[in-house]
Amino acid sequence: MKEFLRFDHVTKIFGTTRAVHDVSLTIHQGEIFSLLGPSGCGKTTLLRLLAGFESPDSGKIILNGKDITALPPNQRKVNTVFQNYALFPHMSLRDNIGFGLKMAGRKKAEINVEVDRMLAMIQMEDQADRKPTQISGGQKQRIAIARALIMRPQILLLDEPLAALDLKLRQRMSLELSLIHDEVGITFLYVTHDQGEAMSLSDRIAVMNNGEIEQLGTPIEVYEAPSSSFVAAFIGDTNFFDARVLEVLNKDYSRVKIMGIKLPPLLCYNDKQTKRGDMIHFSIRPEKFQISINRPQVSSKYNILQGTIEDIIYQGDHTRYWVNIGEDWKIAITRQHTRFMLDEKALNWNDKVYIYWLADDGYMLEHYSAKDEDLVEEPPQVIGEEITGKDQEEPCKSNKESVLSSTIKKSQNGSSSNG
Amino acid sequence: MAKKHIFSKKRIFGEFSLSFPSMLWLIIFFLIPTLIIFAIAFKPADPLGGIGSGWTFQTILALKNPNYPQIIWRTIWMSCVTTFFTLALAIPIAYHIARIPPGRRDFILLLTIVPFWTSFLIRIFAWKAVLHPEGLLKHALVYCHLISPETLLLYRPEAVLLVMIYTELPFAILPLYAAAEKFDFSLLEAALDLGASRLRAFFNVYIPGIWNGLLSACLMVFIPSIGSYVIPDVVGGTDSMMLGNIIAQRIFVERNLPHASALSTILILAMLIPLLFFLKGKKNKVGRIKKSTRGIE
Amino acid sequence: MIKKSKIPGIITWLVLLFFYLPIILLVVNSFNLSRTGGSWDGFTLKWYAKLWNAKYVWTALKNTLFVAFFATIISTIIGTTAAFALHLYKGKFQKTHYCLIYTPLVIPEILLGISLLLFFVSVKIDLGFTTMIIAHVTFCVSYVTMAVLSRLQDFDMTILEASRDLGANTWQSTTHILLPMVMPGMLAGALLAMTLSVDDFVISFFVAGPGSTTLPIQIYSMIKRGSMPLINALSTLLLSVTFLMILVFQILTKHKKKQSVLNVE
Repeated sequence: MKEFLRFDHVTKIFGTTRAVHDVSLTIHQGEIFSLLGPSGCGKTTLLRLLAGFESPDSGKIILNGKDITALPPNQRKVNTVFQNYALFPHMSLRDNIGFGLKMAGRKKAEINVEVDRMLAMIQMEDQADRKPTQISGGQKQRIAIARALIMRPQILLLDEPLAALDLKLRQRMSLELSLIHDEVGITFLYVTHDQGEAMSLSDRIAVMNNGEIEQLGTPIEVYEAPSSSFVAAFIGDTNFFDARVLEVLNKDYSRVKIMGIKLPPLLCYNDKQTKRGDMIHFSIRPEKFQISINRPQVSSKYNILQGTIEDIIYQGDHTRYWVNIGEDWKIAITRQHTRFMLDEKALNWNDKVYIYWLADDGYMLEHYSAKDEDLVEEPPQVIGEEITGKDQEEPCKSNKESVLSSTIKKSQNGSSSNG
Repeated sequence: MAKKHIFSKKRIFGEFSLSFPSMLWLIIFFLIPTLIIFAIAFKPADPLGGIGSGWTFQTILALKNPNYPQIIWRTIWMSCVTTFFTLALAIPIAYHIARIPPGRRDFILLLTIVPFWTSFLIRIFAWKAVLHPEGLLKHALVYCHLISPETLLLYRPEAVLLVMIYTELPFAILPLYAAAEKFDFSLLEAALDLGASRLRAFFNVYIPGIWNGLLSACLMVFIPSIGSYVIPDVVGGTDSMMLGNIIAQRIFVERNLPHASALSTILILAMLIPLLFFLKGKKNKVGRIKKSTRGIE
Repeated sequence: MIKKSKIPGIITWLVLLFFYLPIILLVVNSFNLSRTGGSWDGFTLKWYAKLWNAKYVWTALKNTLFVAFFATIISTIIGTTAAFALHLYKGKFQKTHYCLIYTPLVIPEILLGISLLLFFVSVKIDLGFTTMIIAHVTFCVSYVTMAVLSRLQDFDMTILEASRDLGANTWQSTTHILLPMVMPGMLAGALLAMTLSVDDFVISFFVAGPGSTTLPIQIYSMIKRGSMPLINALSTLLLSVTFLMILVFQILTKHKKKQSVLNVE
């Protein structure tokens, strides 16, 4: 794939904060590329540097072979879809879309032809004469996109375009965006904090944190093989393990001892080169585990642990379990319901279970930081005891989940398993 | 690489050139003239009218006129009374309007604001006509045996108070309405739910909730009141003269500008004190009074 | 549903009555033969005829409009630039700027009047139309600034970025985007300035010279002289103009609101 846009050691400092720190990045022509990260990670700053609203303190930006670092925004062949759309309220939708062409000095007749084409593409031909205050959020978004695309930019920048929409609309617009991309073929640079959005839309993702790129890869690479604990925790959910290598069995596997808890040694896949005595960190995502009441009959490549179920959250198509494997270590496990649940004997609180996983399905991280563990979803806390003297569930961060959780617990008393 | 910082030359130039016209104008025609008031207080009066030459303390000493303390006290007292009654009326009005559903609300707001757009003098004159010794109101009150035929409704402190309240009300209603509109009325329901009586909910929840608006309204009524000059002049008598009248008299009748200047400095002082109270009493956004001895909340 | 107290509502209506009764009385009496309005002596238009012949009133009106015209233009320009400065920039300089703008709003008019009078006397400028216009601009600027500033606060500045993103240079952005958006705020400020200028009495009284009598000053001397019926007639005319303007304004804004309501899906 051809290099199309390159950030070359770009740094931007605001006051004493390093918003973007020595970032180098290459984007290919025609791809949908996402910058993903929490607020303040530098993704928006990077976007604005490309659009021209900020100037880098050091580094260069090269677009299609041309160094555009010193160009003002109105001279770059780059257009932006703003987070709050930034439609001109005193102009009709038609004039909004045609604004860029008007500034470029094109003739009125030509502009009308192009605008009509755009309106047809976004299916809003009959509303051309309305004002932005008279249309809905999703429609405003489409107009903002049309207004930018009509300029045929070399790259289209989208700054959290779906953030202001509600869930259903977001899903629909996400689909529309990828359809528009397929039709138009322009390179998209997409900025978002929503990992679901980034993963479903992008060809490649750059995960950013504190002004730096933590990992760059396809959505699958970034999800299955996170290079750092930040990426592992920010995208999806995971369980972290610190371990010491006891012996390297062969080029594919090592035997390791988990630190901080009395457990038998585990088998681990060598995602990177290790030797005896090394400290490693690995992450295993909840869906890689299997769980059962009876001891499983599986090959030696599986690790098997015993534990007690501490929490259950039923979600319809899957259930989330937290299993205590000893000394209050809780492992998060997700189990898909591939069979008719009412036929099965459901697992209950305090059941003693076996959890097992294939050694290949864990992943060794290259960088680990203890504070990234805070990004992972916590199991529900039990607090009510001090107040009422009874065992009560306290609503945790995700209210919906724990209401379901309490409902399940109450109905479990004696009656049949039904969420 | 050039650092485009908050302190770039381009930005400072932009900020300065935008602020320049207004700052220049107000410094020359507002700030300096205000300072001149203090300066002229130290100058003697020209016997032919106007400002004399040289500097003196005489003008300031002349303020020891025995009539003045009474007039100053009256000015402050009348302003306080006006503020009290104006607020007593404006608070429930603003409360009521804020609770009317939006459709009718615009109409009622309009009705209250319209007097504000009519000429100030006309409104004062309208009352002079109403309170006129041979006017309708007088006749009606005499007919009902509420007053004797000799009583004057006009040219007395009560008339001044009435007209001051009348003219100041819109200025009190506006900031109180703005604050009432932002107030979350479900707080009152919560208070009632927890057992408070309506009156207690009003004083313990509503009033603190609109506190900043209340202080603004106080200021907007009190300060113009102490500078009142036209109202006491048109509907007041000699026993309801206020500081503003004296100042005007010194200027237009006696042409004694330095004396008027000196009196004005007193007026400025009388104004600064409530201003300080206002700044101190203002709640910051969190809702706690900045340096307060009051134990609200 | 908690029962709401009726008291605030009653107070509101009583006060509204209190607001309008004197005015209504005034209007009625302008057609009353009786000089003092103590009783109804019959319908007449003679006071209006007398008013028509009172040349000094119409000269004063002309002066008022003359001063208002210039004062409005100058204060709107100054006020708008000030509002932009206050909105776009923060910091100590703007805080001082804001204090300077805010203070004239809270000072009694008599202080503004006397300070300007003393200033003009000290600098030896003759009192006349110039001093009047200067004085009017001085007290109007703050109001205009506040009016425009409050509109600016609803203004989404990213629109200017969008305009540059689409290829407009600074001049194009200013003329096509900024000015049209700020125009309603400026008009509101200008309207406010004009109303204040036309209605001003105290400050005008202090800085007026011979021959620059404005309408409020004229009305004041008429009140002092006691020509009550004439004032009734004049007041009625002025009140009708005000009411008419407000009505027109309301119709215009209601019409706009209806349009946008009908068009939203």
